[in-house]
Amino acid sequence: MQKNKKIIHILVVMSILFLSIVAYLTYFELFMKEEVVANSYNQRLREQDENVIRGTIYDRNMIVLAESRLEGENQERIYPYKNLYSHIIGYSSLVYGKSFIEARYNQHLIGATGLSSVFNLGNQLTGTAKKGNDVHLTIDHPLQVKAEKLIAGKKGAIVVMNPATGEILAMVSKPDYNPESEALEQNWKQTVESKEYPLLARATQGMYVPGSTYKTVISAAAIEKGMEDRVFDDKGVIVIDGKEIRNMNSTAYGRISLGRALAVSSNTVFSRIGVELGEESLKNIAERFGFNKKIPFDIPVSQSVFPYDKMSKTDMAAVGMGQGKLLVTPLHMAMIASSIANDGVMMKPILVSSITSPLGNVIYTNKPEELYRTMSYETSRKLTEMMLEAVNNGTGVNARISGINVAGKTGTAENERTVKGDGSEHAWFIGFAPVEEPQVAVAVIIEYSGSSGGKEAAPIARELIKEWLSKNK
Amino acid sequence: MGKILNYHRPIRMILLINIIAFTLLYLYKESYDYHTILFGLGVIGLINTAYFLLKWGSCGDEYLFLIVAMLVSIGIIMIYRLDKSLGIKQITWFVIGIVLFFLSYFVYQKFNFWDRLIYVYMGCSFILFLLTLLLGKNIQGATNWIVVKGQSIQPSEIIKIFFVFFIASYYKHPEKLKIPPIPVNGKKINIGSDIVLSAAAYMYMGFLVLQREWGSAVLFFIVYFTLLYVFENGKKILLINGILAVLGGIGGFLFVHHIKVRVDVWLNPWKDIAGTGYQITQSLFAIGSGGFFGRGIGLGSPKYIPEVQTDFIFSAICEEMGIFGGTAVVFLFFLLVYRGCKIAMEVENAFNKAVALGITIMFGFQTFIIIGGVIKLIPMTGITLPFVSYGGSSLTTSFIALGILQAISKKAYEVEEELTVAKE
Repeated sequence: MQKNKKIIHILVVMSILFLSIVAYLTYFELFMKEEVVANSYNQRLREQDENVIRGTIYDRNMIVLAESRLEGENQERIYPYKNLYSHIIGYSSLVYGKSFIEARYNQHLIGATGLSSVFNLGNQLTGTAKKGNDVHLTIDHPLQVKAEKLIAGKKGAIVVMNPATGEILAMVSKPDYNPESEALEQNWKQTVESKEYPLLARATQGMYVPGSTYKTVISAAAIEKGMEDRVFDDKGVIVIDGKEIRNMNSTAYGRISLGRALAVSSNTVFSRIGVELGEESLKNIAERFGFNKKIPFDIPVSQSVFPYDKMSKTDMAAVGMGQGKLLVTPLHMAMIASSIANDGVMMKPILVSSITSPLGNVIYTNKPEELYRTMSYETSRKLTEMMLEAVNNGTGVNARISGINVAGKTGTAENERTVKGDGSEHAWFIGFAPVEEPQVAVAVIIEYSGSSGGKEAAPIARELIKEWLSKNK
Repeated sequence: MGKILNYHRPIRMILLINIIAFTLLYLYKESYDYHTILFGLGVIGLINTAYFLLKWGSCGDEYLFLIVAMLVSIGIIMIYRLDKSLGIKQITWFVIGIVLFFLSYFVYQKFNFWDRLIYVYMGCSFILFLLTLLLGKNIQGATNWIVVKGQSIQPSEIIKIFFVFFIASYYKHPEKLKIPPIPVNGKKINIGSDIVLSAAAYMYMGFLVLQREWGSAVLFFIVYFTLLYVFENGKKILLINGILAVLGGIGGFLFVHHIKVRVDVWLNPWKDIAGTGYQITQSLFAIGSGGFFGRGIGLGSPKYIPEVQTDFIFSAICEEMGIFGGTAVVFLFFLLVYRGCKIAMEVENAFNKAVALGITIMFGFQTFIIIGGVIKLIPMTGITLPFVSYGGSSLTTSFIALGILQAISKKAYEVEEELTVAKE
């Protein structure tokens, strides 16, 4: 019957409508909810904060880096080392919200993830305050303290990591701030408005010109193109497309190999290599090393950029020596050093090693993961030899440690201020050791130092490498 | 006990969910209020008795009541958890609802003149509309309540049933709406009865718009349009009504500030979280916090959503019973619509067919409009979720409608039985 057929049409329409509700709910749950729920207008966030004793954050040896204690009705978040972890752990404030690990792992710290709320049913029914999960960092607290001391009073960042696993052992950004709620709320205005940008986590979100440290990446491309045995004639000055390029102090090194050019950080040789490699190769190698790509990490990381559409010869020359429009984060430079150390494999950086429940059960572990293959094993070994030469007999001598082979590369990066001629270059150093079986990789930057990477940054790297290797003999 | 835990029979599932939920509510925050247990037993007893009566009297489709009993249970549990006193009131309304359910079942069966009262339905509707406009109290921006002896009543709920009956009577006796040709300048102009029907239907919607009940206006249009689709043979009238709806929608968006605001809020509620977007964003927070499995009955915070016990009850269900709980509610309504369509298809009499279908799609589309609204799938319009939302007017009239559907199902199945007997 005609009418019954039409009733079936209606039923079909209704089914589609009902299914669209179910589909939308599922989509919302899977893809939209995270952002929605984190909105600061969601009063549940604050409510959970009040009902749950926030989990503790530990370093790799169970040293407490952040914990919550009940003070009468309210709980207080205590950071025993104040400023030291302000750019890693961040803050947890009722007024200003949360940042970094406190924000990213909030659900875990308040124990509100999936099944655990079911297991805690007893406590929830009776209204007893429960405890959130604990977060374990890969950070080594003594090394972090050492790193902070080495850079204290300066502006910049230090990243120390294990090249084979990607674990971050120490990460310091300077200047910093006190993340404890009372101090944070008192100083908020001046902290936010300060020209020193203490809230900026320079190690992960500061964007710097890599300078000569980028010559390691260029060298990898040059080795691949078979330039390692070639002899370059270095006259100290070279003109490319009408633009004059000089070595530091215009020193002429004469006839030198690629390895020697890296060791002395010859601008004339590397700008020529940049032009010779050409646009395609330069873009290709940058992308293989992770430029213009997101780095997955436990706290927000800015994306390093290689922002060229079309490159002129002067652009290629500039990129060849790590200048131009290139911008990197210190974390990314540490990862680049690590990938050279790790036979050409760049590991995903790890900051949180595991999460445990209040009863000690492991809820989550962060396993080492390969991120990119940046170069072949052979290339990585050749490049390592060249970087060893740079430390033993080149610009990086200040990173030398007796009895340990250190590979490294200095950088003295021109920036927007040096263009005006006030001589405030960034001082860089990246490196790793021991060369035979690398256990630690380092990136150090002292921003606007006005000095060279060899003088300013290399000694800091040396101290950190020494510290870590002496501990892990 | 073993029999209750054996959940193969649907009635036991309903008992089980009530037992579990009321026990949880009893234990919740160590309240140990024995009234909770009593009310739980009351609800269980009520559902069981009604189900027994239905089976015993072999009153047609047995699933209709089961589906609705599950929905009402979920609603009562949620409302009781939100506010005990409202929960108790809702249980009272449930008792009254069941009485009205049986009453309307018997009365509808008893008499046969329902299809001949087209003018009565229209008259009652418009009188109620006028009363609302004159005596109406403005609650939450809509003038759709009248207060009688301290009790607010929402006349548009009962008008829904009149509306369905009105259209159904028309399809049984279309000639009743025929007006004699009007003489204009010596010529006589014939106005078809379908035009009169349309005009009357739009008058219903006009009144609803005057009361700023946008959701109900849309619902009435959909019910009207669906019945047109099923019962009219011509395509022209559908097309004209469709165009009118589109024009009305665009006009509303362009010229009616309230509608524009609602559409804007739907497109981006985050722009004004503290103001116009407050309700819907609070609703989304609740649904998001629940996840797939929910935070548990009594463990969520649906209290932040304004009007949570009425329009936004679905968000509270999603927060505490999870998206799976919400999906279950949607599927229960789907089952209800399915049973309703089945009944409408099996019954022969055009009037009964139209009434059964009208009631069914009224339930179905009302569900879609309100759930779609609170989850931000479509713009939000305030109407209740049938059988689940708190509210006497909504619950009792829904049960009256269900009683009528039940009566029609009895007729449909009787015919079927006779046919099988005849075949044998």
